[in-house]
Amino acid sequence: MTDKDVGDLVRAAVLGDRASWDALVQRYSGLVWSVTRGYRIGSADAADVFQTTWLRLAEHLDRIDKPGQLGAWLATTARHEALRVARGATRTVPSDEETLVALGQVDDYSPEQAVLDAEQARLNSDRAARLWHAFGQLPARCRELLRILIASPPPSYAEVAAAVGMPVGSIGPTRARCLRRLRERLAGEVSDAATVAHESE
Amino acid sequence: MPLLSLMRVSKYDGRATVHGDRDESELDESELDESELHESELEKELRRAAAHFDPVPRELLQAAANAFDWRAIDAELAELVFDSLVDHDELALVRGPLDRRLLSFHAGGMTIDLEVTSTSTSCGLVGQLVPPQQASVEIRTGTDVITVEADELGRFSAGPVPKGPLSLRCAAARAGPGTAVVTEWVPI
Repeated sequence: MTDKDVGDLVRAAVLGDRASWDALVQRYSGLVWSVTRGYRIGSADAADVFQTTWLRLAEHLDRIDKPGQLGAWLATTARHEALRVARGATRTVPSDEETLVALGQVDDYSPEQAVLDAEQARLNSDRAARLWHAFGQLPARCRELLRILIASPPPSYAEVAAAVGMPVGSIGPTRARCLRRLRERLAGEVSDAATVAHESE
Repeated sequence: MPLLSLMRVSKYDGRATVHGDRDESELDESELDESELHESELEKELRRAAAHFDPVPRELLQAAANAFDWRAIDAELAELVFDSLVDHDELALVRGPLDRRLLSFHAGGMTIDLEVTSTSTSCGLVGQLVPPQQASVEIRTGTDVITVEADELGRFSAGPVPKGPLSLRCAAARAGPGTAVVTEWVPI
């Protein structure tokens, strides 16, 4: 989807075209979700930030300066709201929630848990779970950046920069460093894998 | 030859087209894409893991789609100009069993001051319209609307209101249609 396509969808949505709005939701939900999940806020707060971001867009639709760069606008808004909520910490975050989610043992969002479970059997589940676990152990800065880079569909660097509040130029080096740390962690955790498997029983 | 011309069109539409000056911008874009989006197998694997372990919850996709219905096209947008959570007003921030937060929205001729008192599951609201005036106040939560009345001194209150996104829509009793004010959305 080019900037022009996105701009056209925004302009059509301003005029009340629901199909265009739905197309924007399809295109950018993954990005907005990844921004809210990159910050260490609880799942209920992440859901609030996600929903607030889309409500804000609906309200500001005809005031967006560069409709073609909607992804960056959404990423900035979601980041801003995530930081506000993190500051308030109005909800108690269970201390083990992040770890459990990282291990894939708790997925309180997913109504289709049964389907996922079946699908998981088809995946190379051991490898995927270890990878996700290693990712959850990375330093906050790395987790924030990588979580956004791996959004579906893959975001542009401009969107990533808006989402993490980092200049475009420093994303490349930070990304390379974080991936290196992830590889190291993955390589070093072969012995931990037994523990993880044990805990999940 | 219809078939040939058809093939020609499809070839020109494809990204693989290499000749002709019309493709200059497209080539630039694809080079940019390649440098931007070239990623390792590890990242691709991680993206699949994220899609599996942490997908966008289905009910949130629905909520995002429904956000379209909450546009208030006829109302003036009141921007959030003060939030004790981020604007460091020590007097406003009272920590204790109840969290108290002050929000202030402003548009054209109206200011809406709001005090939000939270428990772990819900919130109480006390508001003040400036200048003071009677008005109908819709408390919008992104799923429901609760309507309350502001008295002649511009005071209103509501609760318990569920935690989550919040926006107020105020229509002054004595004003004509099209003069309503709606606040920006804020999670409470």
